[in-house]
Amino acid sequence: MARLLENQSKDILRQAGIPVPEYYVAGSPEQAAEIVEKLGKPVVLKALVPIGKRGKAGAIKFADNAEQARVLTGELLQMTVSKYPVQQVLVEEKLEIKEELYVSITIDRVKQLPVIIASLSGGIDVEELTKKHPEKVCTYYVHPWKGLFDYQSREIWAGLGVSGKRLVKLGGLLKKLYKVFEDYEAYILEINPLVVTTDDEIVAAASVMAIDDSAMFRHPELAGKVQMGTERAWRPLTDLEKKAVEVNEADPYRGTARYTEMEDGDIGFMCGGGGGSLLLFDALVEFGGRPANYSEFGGNPSDEKVYGLTKVILSKPGVKGLFVAQNITNNTQVDLVAKGVIRAIRELNIDPKDFPIVVREAGVNEETARRLFAEAGIEYYGDEITMTGAARRMVEKMKERYPGYGE
Amino acid sequence: MAILLDRNCKIVVQGITGREASMVTKHTLDYGTPIVAGVTPGKGGQEVHGVPVYDTLRQACREHEINTAMVYVPPAFVLSAVMEAIDNGIKFIFIATENVPQHDVIKFLHIAREEGVRIVGPNSVGIISPGERMKLGAIGGDNPERCFVPGHVGVISRSGGMTAETAWMVKRAGYGVSTCVSIGGDALIGSPPKDLLALFEQDTDTQAVVTFSEPGTNFEEEMADFVREGGFTKPLISFVAGKFTETLPEGTVFGHAGAMIAGGMGKPSHKIEKLRDAGVHVADKFDDIITLLRQIL
Repeated sequence: MARLLENQSKDILRQAGIPVPEYYVAGSPEQAAEIVEKLGKPVVLKALVPIGKRGKAGAIKFADNAEQARVLTGELLQMTVSKYPVQQVLVEEKLEIKEELYVSITIDRVKQLPVIIASLSGGIDVEELTKKHPEKVCTYYVHPWKGLFDYQSREIWAGLGVSGKRLVKLGGLLKKLYKVFEDYEAYILEINPLVVTTDDEIVAAASVMAIDDSAMFRHPELAGKVQMGTERAWRPLTDLEKKAVEVNEADPYRGTARYTEMEDGDIGFMCGGGGGSLLLFDALVEFGGRPANYSEFGGNPSDEKVYGLTKVILSKPGVKGLFVAQNITNNTQVDLVAKGVIRAIRELNIDPKDFPIVVREAGVNEETARRLFAEAGIEYYGDEITMTGAARRMVEKMKERYPGYGE
Repeated sequence: MAILLDRNCKIVVQGITGREASMVTKHTLDYGTPIVAGVTPGKGGQEVHGVPVYDTLRQACREHEINTAMVYVPPAFVLSAVMEAIDNGIKFIFIATENVPQHDVIKFLHIAREEGVRIVGPNSVGIISPGERMKLGAIGGDNPERCFVPGHVGVISRSGGMTAETAWMVKRAGYGVSTCVSIGGDALIGSPPKDLLALFEQDTDTQAVVTFSEPGTNFEEEMADFVREGGFTKPLISFVAGKFTETLPEGTVFGHAGAMIAGGMGKPSHKIEKLRDAGVHVADKFDDIITLLRQIL
């Protein structure tokens, strides 16, 4: 799921003929003031971060004149919203709001169909509204091949009680929104609120758009705009995380290596497989261990990639042990895992006698791996123990080395 | 007997000349599973480990009896490959490809439902029935016996790697497996666990089922409802990984793409609670699968 910043999603909406407020991006209080001077009307100032719920975080402010805009933009630029430092502010003309509506388009994973959710009550938490007043919300499934016809986009609003000119207008707008959803292979496109102004104009006041990363190859025009890898973005990437991305991208076609830092923790966690690593993390925690990161590797990475990832994992301050484990694999050459891990440990002058390391790798070329790890003095297991058993052993080893560990 | 696969499967590999497809073809043939033809546009007339390659599936179907397709084409071509298989009357399609665009997946899943075609995947490592010596996909690699021995326990796993490890736990407990299915790590897949439980219920060769689950989706909630409603009456053992993800902000993805907790849906603790309430044997630790199997069988 790759998110777009709001100005970028609004660029797309505007190109598609969907009315949006007049908006500019300011990188400094002075710029914001200049924009307001030029606009000559009250504005909304929004922190430009790839994350929702900015209103609740106090990251949306209103200014009546240039001086106010200067001060408030200055405040916004000092803020951190959901751990994202605010570097830019979206300066938008303030709309004269008569009514606020809601519309979103996404893929319903249960029905496996595109779904449109519309409501005449916008500007709110739609999940809450659906629970409390389901009658105020229209949920409409769309045929994935036929798309949305004009009559259907009108049916949705008519069902909510809209008629006359407004019905025609809203119908036309929804049709265009659906086309954007399809054309850009969005994962979600949400307009909240969709504003009816006092002049009876309908304007997409706030937009959230995320693109399916798997479809990015068909949208080169979005390259550099979307925030790739935002699926783990509850905060910006740390330096070591960026380093791990580099390690992975250096050899994008052979194996994967992903790294996410945890707060605190002392066990370097280098585990394989999407499901296996989830299990192993849980198991370490249950036995009283504290993983310092969450790392998944797999798909037969080169020894160079394993080496790079191991170095990243061990570079985090406070890491006092290393756990390398994976489910029994059929394509991972575990001798390469051995070579990568051992090289990183040697380079960082880590002595396995003094630094707890447990490895559980069962896969291709296991005998070589066993020999290499043995020569390096590293505790290694193949399939003589289970994954849970390996996690238990890791925590035991931490306790042996650091008396009182986990207590 | 087994679910999904039996000795009457006549398999075609779409994209057979690719590096991975070619290796999988070799391992599959070595295991004793018949692959009758392959398709790669522009490479008709070649052979891959003795399997004839055709330019189009239509040509392959003219020369061979085919009822099962293995899709190994790059993400951009999966939609077309699946449609080609459906249009040639193939009723069972296995998709190994990872990172298939979601808008494409909903398109082919929709047609498959309309046409009564079963799909497993995308992003599945494979299906294996050791008693029949039948397998689809990379599952088991060149050494299927290590984890997959014939027996009467079914395995359903969201994770490809954990399909092998779960089958190996069954083996360690002293039993074997009837059919093991890696359903694919994405949220949008052709055969969710509930559908497979329905097949295992009918399979006289299966006495119990073990599932490996992850955060995200509502597959486990559906399974629990299905068990409660009496759709599956055999012993069911479930393990749900990723409990730690609940302590992290919502919307973050660990493990597979399908493992996203959104809007409070898909939490492991919720899945576990629903499964327990339905009478499913939930393994707290993965190793408990061994104990539970020994108690039950």
